[in-house]
Amino acid sequence: MAETAPAPYVGRALKRVEDPRLIKGIGTYTDDLRLPGMLHAAILRSPHAHARVVRINVSAAQSITGVVSVLTGAEVNEHCGAVPCVADIADLRAPRHTVLAGDRVYFVGHPVAVVVATDPYVARDGAEAIDVEYDPLPAVANPEEALKDGSPLTHPDLGTNLAYTHTLTGGDVDEAFRRADRVIKQRIVHQRLTPMPIEPRGVVASYHVGEGTLTVWSSTQIPHLVRTLLPGMIKIAENKLRIVAPEVGGGFGAKLNLYPEEALCGHLAMRLGAPVKWVESRRENAASTIHGRDQIGDYEVAVRHDGTILGLKARTIADLGSYLQLLTPAIPTLTGLVLTGCYRIPAIRLDVLGVYTNKMSTDAYRGAGRPEATYLIERLMDIVAREVGVDRIEIRLKHFPEPTEFPFHTASDLKYDSGNYQGALSKARQLANWEALMTERAAARAAGRLLGVGVSTYVEICAMGPSKAMPAGGWEWGCVRIEMSGKVTVITGATPHGQGQETSFAQIVADRLGVPIEDIVVLHGDTNVAHYGRDTYGSRATAVGGSALVMCIDKIVAKAKRLAAHLLEAPLDRVTFANGRFSTAGNDRRLSWTEMASEAFVAKNLPAEFEPGLEASSFFEPENFTFPFGAHIAVVEIDRDTGLVHIKKYVAVDDCGPQINPLLVEGQVQGGIAHSIGQALFEQTVYDENGQLLTGEFMDYAIPRAGDIPEYILGSTVTPSPSNPLGIKGVGEAGTIGATPAIANAVIDALEPLGIKHLDLPLTPERIWRAMQRHAVEAV
Amino acid sequence: MKVSSSATIQAPRDRVFAALVDPDVLRQSIPGCEELTPIGEDRYEARLKIGVAGLKGTYSGRAELREKHAPESFTLAFSGKGGSGFLQGAAAIRLADEDVATRVTCDADVQVGGLIAAVGSRLIEATARKLTDDFFRRLADQIASR
Amino acid sequence: MYPASFEYFRPSTIDEAVALLAQHGDDAKVLAGGHSLIPAMKLRLARPKVIIDIGRVANLNYIRDADGQIAIGAMTPHGEIEASAWLRERCPLLAETASHIGDVQVRNRGTIGGSLAHADPAADWPAAILALDAELEIAGPRGRRTVGAGKFFVDLLETTIRPDEILCEIRVRPTPRSVAYEKTEQKASGFALAGVAVVIPERDGAVCVAVTGVAAKPYRATAVERALAGHRILASDIIAAAAAHAADASDALGDIHASPEYRAHLAQVNTRRALTRAVARR
Repeated sequence: MAETAPAPYVGRALKRVEDPRLIKGIGTYTDDLRLPGMLHAAILRSPHAHARVVRINVSAAQSITGVVSVLTGAEVNEHCGAVPCVADIADLRAPRHTVLAGDRVYFVGHPVAVVVATDPYVARDGAEAIDVEYDPLPAVANPEEALKDGSPLTHPDLGTNLAYTHTLTGGDVDEAFRRADRVIKQRIVHQRLTPMPIEPRGVVASYHVGEGTLTVWSSTQIPHLVRTLLPGMIKIAENKLRIVAPEVGGGFGAKLNLYPEEALCGHLAMRLGAPVKWVESRRENAASTIHGRDQIGDYEVAVRHDGTILGLKARTIADLGSYLQLLTPAIPTLTGLVLTGCYRIPAIRLDVLGVYTNKMSTDAYRGAGRPEATYLIERLMDIVAREVGVDRIEIRLKHFPEPTEFPFHTASDLKYDSGNYQGALSKARQLANWEALMTERAAARAAGRLLGVGVSTYVEICAMGPSKAMPAGGWEWGCVRIEMSGKVTVITGATPHGQGQETSFAQIVADRLGVPIEDIVVLHGDTNVAHYGRDTYGSRATAVGGSALVMCIDKIVAKAKRLAAHLLEAPLDRVTFANGRFSTAGNDRRLSWTEMASEAFVAKNLPAEFEPGLEASSFFEPENFTFPFGAHIAVVEIDRDTGLVHIKKYVAVDDCGPQINPLLVEGQVQGGIAHSIGQALFEQTVYDENGQLLTGEFMDYAIPRAGDIPEYILGSTVTPSPSNPLGIKGVGEAGTIGATPAIANAVIDALEPLGIKHLDLPLTPERIWRAMQRHAVEAV
Repeated sequence: MKVSSSATIQAPRDRVFAALVDPDVLRQSIPGCEELTPIGEDRYEARLKIGVAGLKGTYSGRAELREKHAPESFTLAFSGKGGSGFLQGAAAIRLADEDVATRVTCDADVQVGGLIAAVGSRLIEATARKLTDDFFRRLADQIASR
Repeated sequence: MYPASFEYFRPSTIDEAVALLAQHGDDAKVLAGGHSLIPAMKLRLARPKVIIDIGRVANLNYIRDADGQIAIGAMTPHGEIEASAWLRERCPLLAETASHIGDVQVRNRGTIGGSLAHADPAADWPAAILALDAELEIAGPRGRRTVGAGKFFVDLLETTIRPDEILCEIRVRPTPRSVAYEKTEQKASGFALAGVAVVIPERDGAVCVAVTGVAAKPYRATAVERALAGHRILASDIIAAAAAHAADASDALGDIHASPEYRAHLAQVNTRRALTRAVARR
């Protein structure tokens, strides 16, 4: 047989093995599950943003044929623990959020009662037939109002709407501001967003009475974390609980959570002795699945006349919503970590005020605190540049650390692992044809057209993370097993839900074991199969989960070499492993994995002290986060009559280190930029002043569609990370983080001739039109 | 949401005021009013089937007449709930002489919540205006026929 | 997304459908393409006890000549109107308007009759129907009657169709040139924030300008039409001056997507753009 090495899989843009089943509609999602005797649950939710629950009359609902059970907080809450929040925040004032409302509801969508019936239509008929008498209470929907004296209290027993204050400081901020030539101030509002995954949440829970085991299928990103946390909410031991994430139609952080409905379904399955399914409607998703962002802040930059930034002060009000989901209060604090962005800014101070309002909780949503940071610092760089009269590119270059300065210590006490911000920006400008763009922009302005070019250079923190910095462990677990037939089974504790690790992990394993990729299967998402895991969020799966697999392979190869030495009758240090074969000089035999596995399992001829089998499992503990970075350039033109923004050109250069599969990287970047287009131009979760949710359906909440997306020009640089053996940095959130500021900066740049200095997101046509009216200037 | 409207009713002010606080007249004038039952002094239980076209919902609730200053003004406070959500608010009604007729102005502050607010917010204001216009038309008819 | 239960009828003739309507009265709703009714039912905003599905009623889906007029059956899907080459030659405003409705899936199922009967204040058809001064034929227990477009739209979500009647046919005069529909979409729903249809007659006759999405019901912008009257050549300054009246006395709607002022402004902008395009097509 020829000895040439096959082309490596890693680095190839392979189509995903997941896609055929998804595209053909033969993947199994939570709502596809049908269990014998399965019942359907429908939840009645509060239409009031704040009210006392005076009386609940369920008799009409109970009398509907097909209704099996109608339960309220009075019957359920005594059997269930409160919804957990694992964020570690000093002096946090937290309400106790029960599975169903008790005597008070505090947001529109708050679950009040549940109906279990033989079919989903009857379940909803039942929910409608429940008569609830509410005594409405004053509600507060504006977080700045919520902090004022006399504001209605979201939780009267807390005595305040202020959940916590958190301060992050680094360097000597007071000194920086004393030495400054100027202090530039800006108020920036980061709107609330609704994640809107294409598949809303759903749960199927089934209790095996004989075995005393509970299985919960949930459209979740975190089956392992749910398995650890659910026993705190319902009476089931961790080792009698199995959580399965079937196909998940989008998570984006919205499903990085433990929701009351998961506990409720588990409890109902045990209580009623039948499997119970609950799937939310789109409106329920909009009202009672977590929201993202929602920060209002006042920012100050201390600068010298030449544009050197000495320090940064920030006071942010974070609208947490009415109660705490898993990580709610922590997200705004993540903003502080990368607030200095790609820049050498020696002094910072961020004060975060977490505030309760009568809305749904906010929590991690694609980027989780880092898009906010990047948007802030990138807007501020443009604002400062304009104020002091320095070019926007020059001011960024001036503050970039050199590639040789990495690991780079930030004022926020992070160690950026590796970076080359100059390289990314330079490549982006080249791809964008920067000089020609500047010429085009000048010509357009001369002709009275509103053409703008925006730049964003970003760095983000991901590949969560070193366990010292994580609430419940930041390692990842993997297992690689050579089956007796020579096929390979890979098990990961990461839980991909669209990220494509069934393909990319197979690429890594195929190369390192020297087996054809078709012989590999990657299992995930079932806690009975992947015994350990910390799941998928924070762009961690490949960096941390892939690294665990590398460790497993190293162990297997080392063990296999011992067996090969024994079988080839050669000393261990003379055994070679190459292209999936074990051999030694002077011996024609080249042992394949199939032969090795057969020997290892049949176990008739094993060396001394050699356990049968060829399998290894490992935990990878990252020593640091990783810090992907990049530069995006957006070109926009604004219709003078209507304020409508058209994206004419979009360039993104992203550095996630070496790319296992460029197709997957491109997919993540494209999707992330699409998210940013939505945030920049038209997405916004709207509550009225009484806490009524007005964007409850796609009729009123606009998400990007194919026609909104320009042809991207994508490029990359490759700067490996020293934080893991694969050198990779993670890319799942980078597009979302880098793109919003590029577009926003482009829009403000387009409006520069009109004297407009800043507008908040979303940059809707009416917002721009009104700004143009206010700054009415004759067209040139 | 604030809804304001006004109309001129061809009748003197005291007759218009008397009609406005007469439950019989109100029952016939309020669009979609199926029931208006007194349960106390100036307090009523009501059932309304309101909305537009096929999107009508039945609301049950209370209405109360307050701050009656005949023949100039009074306030109508109301709250109701139904399958499609709830509404509550108060309307300040003022009457002014206009020659031999009466100019009635209604300034209402209405809160709408639940399903209709979440999915129908763009129609709520227009519907409120339409309903108040209907109300004045029917009121004028009622007064003219008595 | 689970509607309340309902009884379902599927008549095969218009007379059967009308009889069912008369029998069930307020409890019944007619189901055409379902793309306004079914979403409302899934949300339980609409809960008709009886559905009368006219999808199988014969002879309601057609585009043809009727004594020199263009007759379109009420159950003709938007997509067919958009795709009809025959229609595009004779009345391109209809094809152009259809192409703005929803998306491909909606255009495959939604019907012109269903849309007009529902009378959403932000739908696209009303502008074209008003600008073309269409005739609408309605069938009821007392036979058929014809209503002019100007009298068809009564109020918010309300037409002149009585509870026991069904819209059967829409008729327009051939209008092959000098037409345009200019629309600004509400970004989430795709409905019109302001949609303006313009018809400039071949020979003498007044320009017709109709606006949808701005007010509680669609309207003819008569102030614009008056400002254009008497001008044989519609130069850009005349168009601009006339378009400024597009929202006069319109009582523009306001919601989270657009304030009344912005809708009024869009009406003016789109009127100017539609007139300019229609003139260019002369």
